[in-house]
Amino acid sequence: MDQTVSSLTPTGIVVNIQHFCTNDGPGIRTTVFLKGCGNRCKWCCNPETIHPKPELAYNRSKCIGAKACGRCLQAPAPEGAFYVIADTDDRVHVNWDLVSDAETEVASLCPSEAIHLFGEVMTVDQVLEEVEQDAAFYRESGGGITLSGGECLLQPAFSATLLMEAHRRGINTAIETAGNVPWAFMERVLPHVDTVLHDHKLTDPERHKKWIGVDNKRILANYKRAYEAYPDKQFIARTPVIPGVNDGEEHIRSVLAFIAPYKNVIDYQLLPYHRYGEAKYGFLGRVYELEDFERPTPESLARLQSIIDEAFGRTSPTGA
Amino acid sequence: MATGMQRVAINCGGGYVPGLDKAVIGAVLAAAELGCDVVGIRDGYDGLLLPEQYGGEGLIKLDPRAVERLDGSGGSILGAGARTDPFRVRRVNSEDMVEELDRSDELMKIIRAEKIDAVISIVGGSALTGAHAFSVAWKLSRKGLRTVCIPKSVENDIGATALSFGYNSALSYTTDTLERIRSGARDVRRIAVVEVLGYHAGWLALQAGMAACADAVLIPEIPYDLRKVAERLRRNEEAGRSPALIVVAEGAEPAAGTERIGPKDALRKSLAPLSDPRFGEGARVIERSGMAGQAVALDLQRLTNRETVPFSLGQLIRTGMPTAVDCQLGLGYGAAAVRAVVEGHSEVMVALEPPALKLLPLAEAVNNVRTIPADSEFLRIARTLGISLGD
Ligand code: SF4
Repeated sequence: MDQTVSSLTPTGIVVNIQHFCTNDGPGIRTTVFLKGCGNRCKWCCNPETIHPKPELAYNRSKCIGAKACGRCLQAPAPEGAFYVIADTDDRVHVNWDLVSDAETEVASLCPSEAIHLFGEVMTVDQVLEEVEQDAAFYRESGGGITLSGGECLLQPAFSATLLMEAHRRGINTAIETAGNVPWAFMERVLPHVDTVLHDHKLTDPERHKKWIGVDNKRILANYKRAYEAYPDKQFIARTPVIPGVNDGEEHIRSVLAFIAPYKNVIDYQLLPYHRYGEAKYGFLGRVYELEDFERPTPESLARLQSIIDEAFGRTSPTGA
Repeated sequence: MATGMQRVAINCGGGYVPGLDKAVIGAVLAAAELGCDVVGIRDGYDGLLLPEQYGGEGLIKLDPRAVERLDGSGGSILGAGARTDPFRVRRVNSEDMVEELDRSDELMKIIRAEKIDAVISIVGGSALTGAHAFSVAWKLSRKGLRTVCIPKSVENDIGATALSFGYNSALSYTTDTLERIRSGARDVRRIAVVEVLGYHAGWLALQAGMAACADAVLIPEIPYDLRKVAERLRRNEEAGRSPALIVVAEGAEPAAGTERIGPKDALRKSLAPLSDPRFGEGARVIERSGMAGQAVALDLQRLTNRETVPFSLGQLIRTGMPTAVDCQLGLGYGAAAVRAVVEGHSEVMVALEPPALKLLPLAEAVNNVRTIPADSEFLRIARTLGISLGD
């Protein structure tokens, strides 16, 4: 499959490097978002990271207009891929179904970077050069680098080399994973990770398949094996809470039961669903399968949080 | 020109409009008259690509007897729930990963194996899903599939036809609902702010708003300034007309410099890589049905001495009985599409150019969005009626 990067060329496809993140592991962190994912969560907030290759995106606010430019309206851009709507402003629209696979060539047509590519091939050194700009913050806050995605474990050679090199430079490492990868990929990367943030999205395998696209059997097997194989690593279980999908107590309790035997699973965190992915569906134009989810209410989050706090022997800050 | 008994398939792209089956009935009756066989493909091309979802019955044989009891209400016999793009069919691969595959060549083979000579696709409307089905039809026709399209849209935003199938029913239902909301709001001295469909084109908002005597209509074609709307409401009130109804198309936007700027937070930064300003701000995206109306309602309440109440009609207006106009139009479009197939046409869309039904090349129909021109008579009438357009 093309989602892996050859071990001979430890380059990765990186969507973005985000500085000063505070929810991706201990301290202030720099998060590197890698491209490619084998799940299709219907609430995905990072749709630009799903496809394994660089892909075209369009930021209409940067278009200088068809009259002033119009380069994308002619060959070599595919016929019908870009168009103007009469009686509106002159900036072009994209017909995503007609953009075809000539994406790289099309992106280079645009002088204003309105049409651009998500995803850039980067070397380990290039990534670390940017990450190390924040070194002072890591030292003060106990932070470091976090690999996210997409699914960072789908680029195992790159991720492993990057994290190993980060360690060598004294940078703390974390990954965010949804766990749906062959065990060999995990085994390759995990030795170089200090904190493993891993998702438990749904308990029931059938419902997991409905909302995520695949069942969770391999994911749970991977987690169990990882907890047992790496007793010295810190694991933090996480659930993105989606009302009507996984905000019931049963799911939370079953995750708690799953992690209970393992002392190296030091926390279980809830991530309230947020809508920030939606603007990006606009940039990408592709309708994956975004459903209209509500945010979880503070009350339901507090209720679920209190179950977790009780299991971890903490007093809930909400008093619930 | 094609000869002999032809087998025509008919399907619907995503997105329901009132009276979808009227086009199916039109096609079936015309086919019986013109000597064709008709089969229906369920849910777009899902019936052919994923027959297991239908117990192997992804194709429905259609003849006059099969459509005898269809009255055009309550959904379509074919289903309009197409989820599968033949060019990006989702599957779980042998490594347990979800991926999308181009299965269009395989679809073409299945179509040939089923001895289908041409496909009539009822497509269009709604900025994302409807336009998508149009493009799929075009791409398949360029692969050699004989294709005739029928335009459907509750927003009447398909540029190549004067009237899209489904619009008249949606307009009628929207107007009726706006009337009810307006009279209720007037009696409790509140201003109802009602969001209706219309991503690129404000036809539904403008025409239904005018019909229901709205105080303001905000459409995608005219960026709005709510201070001007509030001023207009105040003047209307002084003239003895109490404000009660604002209609907002979901794609309506504030004029540059008057928009509200949302806050960013740490969680956003952590979870959403593209909250980074270097990817640009201000992309025009409808976050979810009702957002445009809610934003207008809140801001207008700040600017006036009235309470506002937001409503969203959203997808509601896609359902229900078709009007007489849509019944005629659906039957006419269905029949004209079969006639086009029998006459050997392909890569065309049937279109109303009053009083005629014509055939237009599909290439002229794709990406051709029908917006309200700045010199539209409807806009002039609205202004003459004292309706604020937000400018
Ligand atoms: S090439 Fe870029 S700037 Fe030029 S019209 Fe196209 S999108 Fe706009």
